[in-house]
Order: sequence, then C-alpha cells, then structure tokens
Amino acid sequence: MARASTTSDVFNAIAEPQRRDILVMLQAGERPVTELAQALGMTQPGASKHLRVLREVGLVRDRKAGKQRLYGLDARGLRPIHEWTGGFERFWNARFDRLDAYVQDLKQKQET
Amino acid sequence: MSATADREIVISRLIDAPRALVFEAFTDVRHLSQWWGPDGFTTTTQVFEFHTGGEWIFAMHGPDGTDYPEWISWTEIVPPERIALLHGERRGDPNAFASLITFADEGAATRIEMRTLFPTQELRDEAVEKYHAIEGGQQTLGKLAAYVAGLVRTGGAG
Repeated sequence: MARASTTSDVFNAIAEPQRRDILVMLQAGERPVTELAQALGMTQPGASKHLRVLREVGLVRDRKAGKQRLYGLDARGLRPIHEWTGGFERFWNARFDRLDAYVQDLKQKQET
Repeated sequence: MSATADREIVISRLIDAPRALVFEAFTDVRHLSQWWGPDGFTTTTQVFEFHTGGEWIFAMHGPDGTDYPEWISWTEIVPPERIALLHGERRGDPNAFASLITFADEGAATRIEMRTLFPTQELRDEAVEKYHAIEGGQQTLGKLAAYVAGLVRTGGAG
C-alpha cells in the first residue's frame, strides 16, 4: 500500500529529498539521467527510479533526443500542491469565517 | 478544461443567515472593518463609496507593522444578489483582478460564491503567494508554496 501511494500521489513523490533535488535541477532545463545522477551524487539506477516515480505523478516528462533520453519538468503535476498551499484561497476562507461570525452577531442583535 | 481554469479561483461558502443580512455585511465600512482584515490586523479607510463605479481605498495594518495598501472599485452592485469588483493595490493598478461575489438562498441559509479571474496565470500565482505572505505565521508552508510556484512557472514555460 505504501509503495502504491508513493507512485500515485504527488505529495508523497516530493516528500523524498532526492526527488526534490532532481526537480530543482530540472528547473534549469532538460537533462539526461547520467548528468542528473552525477550532479546529485546518485547511482544511475537510483536516479532512474526517482525519475520513474516523478514521471508517474506527472512531475517529469521525457523525450528521446538522438541516442539520449532527456528528462524535463512537467509542472502540471504540481498543481494540486500549489492549490493546497494556495494562500489566496485560504485567506478568503479565513475571511469568510470572520464574515460568518460577524453575520451571526448581526442576526442575534436583530432577533433581540 | 477551459482556458480560464488556470487563471480562476472559485471559493464557496454557506452562511447560516438570511441573504439580505449577509449582503448587508458587504455594503458598509462599519461592517466590513469587522471582518475584512485578518486576525490581529486593523484597517484604515480613506474613501468608501459603495455604488457602481465607487471606490474603497484603505490600508490593512499587520501586527508586525507592515501596511498593505488596498484598492477596490465596484463594477456592479445588485442587492442582494451580486457584487462585482476590481481589486488592486491602488487606482489604476495594472495587476488588479476582478471578482464576482454572488449570494443565493439555500433554505434559510445563504450560499456565497466568489469567482476571481486573474488577467494571467502568473498574476494568479502571485496572488496565491502574496496572500499567503499576508496571512503569515506559516513559514514552512510559505516556503513550500514559493518553491512550488517557482517550479510551476518554470515548467509552465516548457
């Protein structure tokens, strides 16, 4: 079960520090797995495994370029996290909480 | 998915009070000052003209002493059904965004829905971060949000 959620849930996917390192590195542009592994001090199979997880949750995409396979950022997968941490929405939800409390006050005053 | 989905934020809330009363809380600065600012904030209003084309110019003062200038201009007011407004930091703010707040009866309660459409996806992401910053007090989440926003921007360009 835990294994399944790691590969299907974007939150789990970025909970792993090495995968976040990969994402940060890919911000600069596409890279082959060999370069990623070398720069981040991982073995190539290790980096490939992380890349597979990241691809499965929609954070990374790959394409063939000649003999190489290049990995790049696919940020569509980050949207759920972005929404979840979204300050605007939480800000307004908190504001509507206060509105609710205030209107309950008004209602009580009207009734008495 | 429509093209506006990436630029829009929709927030909905059910409030257990009659629609006229909920609407009223939006119409008078005496009411608004009670619930508009986050906890620990105060507001100072310079101009408040609640009519179509009117403005609300004010500042929110944060508990850490930071002032946030705010500018609102009402573009449509239909009591007690809808309020459309532009929201920016000052008059003529090129980054101002439009919100439509609708009020609907739901039994004895009122459903408020606020749809905010940002001019671009980038401005939407900026607002997400800015309001996060205003709310404060959530360092870790704030950092994660900024990190994610950076990744989203980079990935969005590719």
